[in-house]
Amino acid sequence: MTMSVSSPTPGKGAAGLFTVVSQLCGAAYLYLLLKAAEAWQVVALLALLGLGFYLLEKRASISDYALDSFARVPVLAVATAAIIVLAFPFVVGSNTYILHLLIVAQLYSVLALALNFQLGSANIPNFATGASYGIGAYVSALLAINFGLSFWLTLPIAALAATLFGFIIGIPSMRARDTYLALVTIAFGVVVQQLLNNFTWTGGPNGLVGIPAPSLFGHSFADPLFVFGWKLPSQANFYYLAAALVVVAIVTAHRLHGSRIGLAWNALRADEIAAKAQGINVAWFKVLAFAVDAFLAAFAGTIYAFYVSYISPDNFTFLVSVTIMTMVIVGGMDNIFGVIAGAFLLTILPEKLRAFEDYRLLVFGVVIIGFLMIRPQGLFPQRMRRYGGKP
Amino acid sequence: MTELLVQQLVNWITLGCIYALLAIGFSLIFGVLNVIHFSHGDVAMTAPFITLALAQALATALGASGTIWLLAAAPLAVLAVGLIGVLLDRLVIRRFRDAPAMMALVATVALGIVIRELIRHVYPQGSNPHAFPRLVSGMAFEIVGVPVSWFALLVVFLTVALVAALFFFLRMTPLGLRIRAASEDRVVARMMGIHDSRVFRATFFIASAIGAIAGLLFASYAGVTRFDFGVMAGLLGFSAAVIGGLGSMPGAILGGLIIAGIEVLSQTFVPDGASYRLVFVFLLVIGVLVFRPAGLLGRAVMEKV
Repeated sequence: MTMSVSSPTPGKGAAGLFTVVSQLCGAAYLYLLLKAAEAWQVVALLALLGLGFYLLEKRASISDYALDSFARVPVLAVATAAIIVLAFPFVVGSNTYILHLLIVAQLYSVLALALNFQLGSANIPNFATGASYGIGAYVSALLAINFGLSFWLTLPIAALAATLFGFIIGIPSMRARDTYLALVTIAFGVVVQQLLNNFTWTGGPNGLVGIPAPSLFGHSFADPLFVFGWKLPSQANFYYLAAALVVVAIVTAHRLHGSRIGLAWNALRADEIAAKAQGINVAWFKVLAFAVDAFLAAFAGTIYAFYVSYISPDNFTFLVSVTIMTMVIVGGMDNIFGVIAGAFLLTILPEKLRAFEDYRLLVFGVVIIGFLMIRPQGLFPQRMRRYGGKP
Repeated sequence: MTELLVQQLVNWITLGCIYALLAIGFSLIFGVLNVIHFSHGDVAMTAPFITLALAQALATALGASGTIWLLAAAPLAVLAVGLIGVLLDRLVIRRFRDAPAMMALVATVALGIVIRELIRHVYPQGSNPHAFPRLVSGMAFEIVGVPVSWFALLVVFLTVALVAALFFFLRMTPLGLRIRAASEDRVVARMMGIHDSRVFRATFFIASAIGAIAGLLFASYAGVTRFDFGVMAGLLGFSAAVIGGLGSMPGAILGGLIIAGIEVLSQTFVPDGASYRLVFVFLLVIGVLVFRPAGLLGRAVMEKV
């Protein structure tokens, strides 16, 4: 990895311009991808993406320049991002399908960020994120249906329940490793999914129906949202809720990455024995990674349950966990932006491949294998730590 | 009661042998290449479809129909699946040989999706279940009033013969020696003049062909085959290989017998056990790996500093 000292530091004006323009381009690309309906449009947009990454591969200085620019004007960068996120539903308008895709993509971003603590930071395989996601969804849905608890109360309870589950999966992780650990987490995922499928009080294979919509300050999330005379479809409520959760997840991930915990996880990834020799409590940090993963996944699960108001065990299978895993690997391990990009791409892509009709899954599988072969380090590879020093 | 027990014993051994054959493929590939080939189950389950298609083709070309064509098609299908395994290694898996383990796992899961979808689209009416007849029919003999089918005997005979042949091959032939050398240490094996890509080719062929036999027996046991059977076959075979200890042949057989045992036990003695069988199987997997983190017969992982 080249040190950024060699590349010229951009001036404040250039950095600001670059920050705003690049983010707008990203948003425009996302909008076009969401709007694309014909097969040739999807292919053209994917080709454009490929070209972009080809350029990044050839000219490593571009990404250094981008990062320096963002670091130069952090307030402007965050403000632009916030405005884009807030304004997106207005641009989309009444197209509820696009809003739905965005909500799901945001929830998957949270799940991928959750998994990133283990897979990315500490290199611990976990195929049970889908199970934690399911536990969050089921706990909150059961509480809301049977006891009439409000969404805002079920949120922390579901998170606590899932965290407990995370600790339970984490305990075998102290002994088993690599492939063996992967199988332990697969086993936990299958057990949870099968239990949900078989218990009568979870509705069995039919799942749970009629989860009430949450409300905030007397505004029900099932109603359309009115902002300054603009009428947004009811999905916009959940869009903003999911966006808020993504922000929470990003802040959590960023803070953890910068803390001693994140450093300890990276040390585990580099060399477990060396980490132990440095006095890092290996067992505790491994279990902690599982718990944090389950905690965040449960949040996503709760929002999902209340958003679609119907959940079944099929939403939380082994393949869901594999999808989340793929998002982290394709996006770029231990890179917050990369993981989110991976989640968005892999949520939207299968939908867009409907243009290929029946061959959708086939193309999806081929695309994933292609990604892993051509760019094994992920779309946005992990960066060297800067330890707070000036670049 | 004894009849029930004997009946379940026969079921257990039959199913255990099928799982053991699947597990051997996982174990062999992992032992030699250090790669988890998660789509092995899907590769194996292409065999019944290829057999059905070949039998159909033979029947239309040569007139008369019957299970005889099925028996003729089966060995051809096993060969074909072995070649498919080699092809997949060349096209995909070989690129993940030196990648982090999780990368290979995710790539082969995606490969499994591709294989399943290909079956669904290439085979006529691939989305529907297809009846798959027993390769041999009829009852061989009775033990305490329980009839034992020729099929059960065939499964046991094939398993014993294959395991013996594999053992002989790995211990007594030059290629087997090379495979064992490469699984011990690939770099040193290469320094000794062992052409490692040939070793990998042979490994993939053998593992996939054994998997194909397991797939044929699996479909024959269930009486039906479906494009997505590979998921469960793969998951159970992988679990059997892991709890036995990856890379260990006796471990794979032991693991297969244990997994089948739990399945049969839960179906027989637990009320509503059939729907909970996977719960019991995977709870056992967790239990085994907590107490024996490298599997029952696996070599303990030594940390080198």
